[in-house]
Amino acid sequence: MSTTVARGTFTPTPPPPEPAPAEPNYLNNGYGIWSWLLTTDHKRIGILYLVSITIFFVVGGIAAGIVRLNLLAPDGAIVNEDTYNRAFTAHGVLMLFFFLIPAVPAVFGNFLVPMMIGAKDLAFPKLNLASWYVFIIGAAFGVWAILVGGIDTGWTLYPPYSTRSSQSNVVPGVFGVFISGFSSIMTGLNIMVTIHKMRAPGMTWGRLPLFIWSMYATSLIQLLGTPVVAITLTLLTVERVAGIGIFDPLIGGDPVLFQHLFWFYSHPAVYIMILPGMGVVSEVLTCFSRKNIFGYQAVAWSSMGIAVVGFLLWAHHMFVAGISFYSALLFSFLSMLVAVPSAIKVFNWTGTLYKGSITFQAPMLFALGFVVLFTIGGLTGLFLATLGTDIHLHDTYFVVAHFHFVMVGGMVLGYFAALHFWWPKMTGRMYSDWWSRVAAAIIITGFFLTFVPQFILGYHGMPRRYPNYPQEFQVYNVMSTAGASILGLGYLLPVCYLTLSLFFGQKATGNPWSATGLEWASPSPPPVFNFDESKMPVVVCGPYEYAIGIDQMGRGLPEGPSGGPSSPASTDGQSAPPGPMNKETEVVG
Amino acid sequence: MWMFLVTEVLFFGGLFAAYSIYRMWYPVEFEFASSFMNIKLALINTVLLITSSLTMTLAIRSAKLGDRSGLYRNLLLTFALGASFMVIKGFEYAHDFHEGILPGAGSFGGEIRSTAEAQDLDTGKVRLFLVFYFIMTGIHGVHIIIGLGCILWLVQQTYANRIPPENYSTVEVVSLYWHLVDVIWLFLMPLLYLAGAHLSHH
Amino acid sequence: MAHSHHSTAHNSHSDLGEVDSPSTLITVYVIILALLAATVLISMSGSLGRYTLFAQLAISSIQATIVGCYFMHLRHSDRVVTLTALASVFWLFILFVLFMSDYMTRHMVVSG
Repeated sequence: MSTTVARGTFTPTPPPPEPAPAEPNYLNNGYGIWSWLLTTDHKRIGILYLVSITIFFVVGGIAAGIVRLNLLAPDGAIVNEDTYNRAFTAHGVLMLFFFLIPAVPAVFGNFLVPMMIGAKDLAFPKLNLASWYVFIIGAAFGVWAILVGGIDTGWTLYPPYSTRSSQSNVVPGVFGVFISGFSSIMTGLNIMVTIHKMRAPGMTWGRLPLFIWSMYATSLIQLLGTPVVAITLTLLTVERVAGIGIFDPLIGGDPVLFQHLFWFYSHPAVYIMILPGMGVVSEVLTCFSRKNIFGYQAVAWSSMGIAVVGFLLWAHHMFVAGISFYSALLFSFLSMLVAVPSAIKVFNWTGTLYKGSITFQAPMLFALGFVVLFTIGGLTGLFLATLGTDIHLHDTYFVVAHFHFVMVGGMVLGYFAALHFWWPKMTGRMYSDWWSRVAAAIIITGFFLTFVPQFILGYHGMPRRYPNYPQEFQVYNVMSTAGASILGLGYLLPVCYLTLSLFFGQKATGNPWSATGLEWASPSPPPVFNFDESKMPVVVCGPYEYAIGIDQMGRGLPEGPSGGPSSPASTDGQSAPPGPMNKETEVVG
Repeated sequence: MWMFLVTEVLFFGGLFAAYSIYRMWYPVEFEFASSFMNIKLALINTVLLITSSLTMTLAIRSAKLGDRSGLYRNLLLTFALGASFMVIKGFEYAHDFHEGILPGAGSFGGEIRSTAEAQDLDTGKVRLFLVFYFIMTGIHGVHIIIGLGCILWLVQQTYANRIPPENYSTVEVVSLYWHLVDVIWLFLMPLLYLAGAHLSHH
Repeated sequence: MAHSHHSTAHNSHSDLGEVDSPSTLITVYVIILALLAATVLISMSGSLGRYTLFAQLAISSIQATIVGCYFMHLRHSDRVVTLTALASVFWLFILFVLFMSDYMTRHMVVSG
């Protein structure tokens, strides 16, 4: 495509002509099942992950549906207590381990990291494929555990219940999580090495798109946290199988130790889930407000800050579990600390929006939803990090609402923002603009209706995970279930219009949003090695030069989606000055 | 590779952290149980592992210098040392099984049990130490076996002349892994075997 | 695999100047063995009493550092590798310190 034009002799022509239908890309580079199952192309592996986690999202969503429907009546509307326990555990395990953790890192991390930094593939393509297989094996164990009856311990698997009393299929479930953990480590390792080693010429650390920074921070957590949960789950399995283990209070063991080890991973794991979403939002907000990010360094470093500080505060899950008072004080303080980098991000996003030329395409709507819901989720987290209020709110629906605001309101919306933003790049097709906006509106509305009543429920003391509740809570529960139905409908819409777009969607240009990242410099869908072999990208400036209207290779941007001229460069016919830009900032040596 | 090593360090780190906490809580029982460990065998094993690390490093040296027969010899030596480690480990486990130095409620018995009861110690906590002993050495043993497999593969690669001096990275990767496993043992040794050495029963 | 796959690119790694001589390696080996003997003797004698554990761990750490620097070539490696190695130590430190913050103060009951 455009890459046939030598840089320097470049003229700011409008978007490169659409690739001819026969142009080879990664999608038509081979058909048949084996061309997918044995691929080492990071883009195809990203698609494999996309398909698999969508399945888990649907199954996890069904489990959530069972939970919500059952809570319509105070004494359980549709299933018995045991089934209810299994349903919420299935929801938790599937959504966390098999959807949220791989969602952005494995799908978009795989697909985009090499493209954004101008590489042909990840550092270890075979390891990448292996990670998908490992994930699938882990998932198979998880599915097996659910098919033969499910697990009833909750996703946290606390002993001694999980090791002694539970009559359900703890071992295959734990094994599934254990194995999928290795997939997460492999992906993290791969992405980290890729970012270190394979950046295009000129792609300095200070010019990395913020999505890359957030993926880097995420990978760091995956590498450092996952092994600890792996050993913890090993110990748990040994204890359950052999009947003797180190969490067994009968021989002097401490079940709280499991919680320490578990949360040492699982708290940072929530940052595995949220950080990539933050990266996506940084990309989308800048693109649709046509502005440079406000405070690049602050946003980049706050990602790293969250990754590090995220490891220091796990015990706030355990304030009432019998940990030491002084320790609880310390952890309460440290938990407050993580609000700082998170707040820096929200502040900078707001600063980015300020005086921007904002357009409201679907990705932007999802990203704005992310900012609002994440802020609410984050602020309510402070209530829980405070020792006194936590004793009142611990294990109530307040907690449930809090983490759903962050995980669903934050991460799932971030995921949808990413999906809608990069869908044209991934598939080469545009989806329905109108329907996607409607879907965003429905999802956000349904979300509020589902989870705001849960804050109230929790504040009034309804404990989480209980199948029954007093009569006076029914009205809120009905509201919440109603909201969940709207939310469910909202999720169905993208499934429909995105699928339809594959067949009937208008063909996407290389850069439909007029965005600056390197991934948009390649046609949609990209060729097998992402960029023209003879003309690998050379980066000359920072990632968000919307104000002067150039992309990272210093070329003018094509017309934006809202029609009309989108950048001074494309109207003035001025090409950006070649060579290093003044905006370049060296963050890491 | 170093990033992978970091995950390994953290993997064992979780175990060590758990061990430390119980060691702090139950020092008497842990030292007591540790005194039943076979220091002689452990000492031999430690020397074997350290020596194997040396030969592994020499193997890299040979690889760098393009000395194929040296590489071959050093790899085989490393393999032999690692394998002897596992064999001795096997004897040690057999001995433990025989003497009832086992964590299970039913299998725990023999001298360690009678002595513990005579000294009025909480046998549960003694067994807790044994759980750690078996899990830690067991997982370490699994790592050794994986390492041995990798070394064998290197031997085959050397044989097939696939390790040129300008790209010996496979040797280096395996050696890093092998050294890490060695280092972990250097910590396991004092924590598991030497903790109760001064209480000597043997 | 992280850095080494690409080490062909910067061949300075395989400079003969950076190859340790066997005598260096054997000296290192002897030092590690000497340390091992020291830790065993200290433990057997029990003369340090409650400080035995600290002595043992200190010696193990020294051994680990030596292995890292000489056998694992941390001495010659680039900054990213050193940083990675230090990161693992730092995270272990987090793990231990914060665990201990609970377990060492749990018995202190707050009254009033």
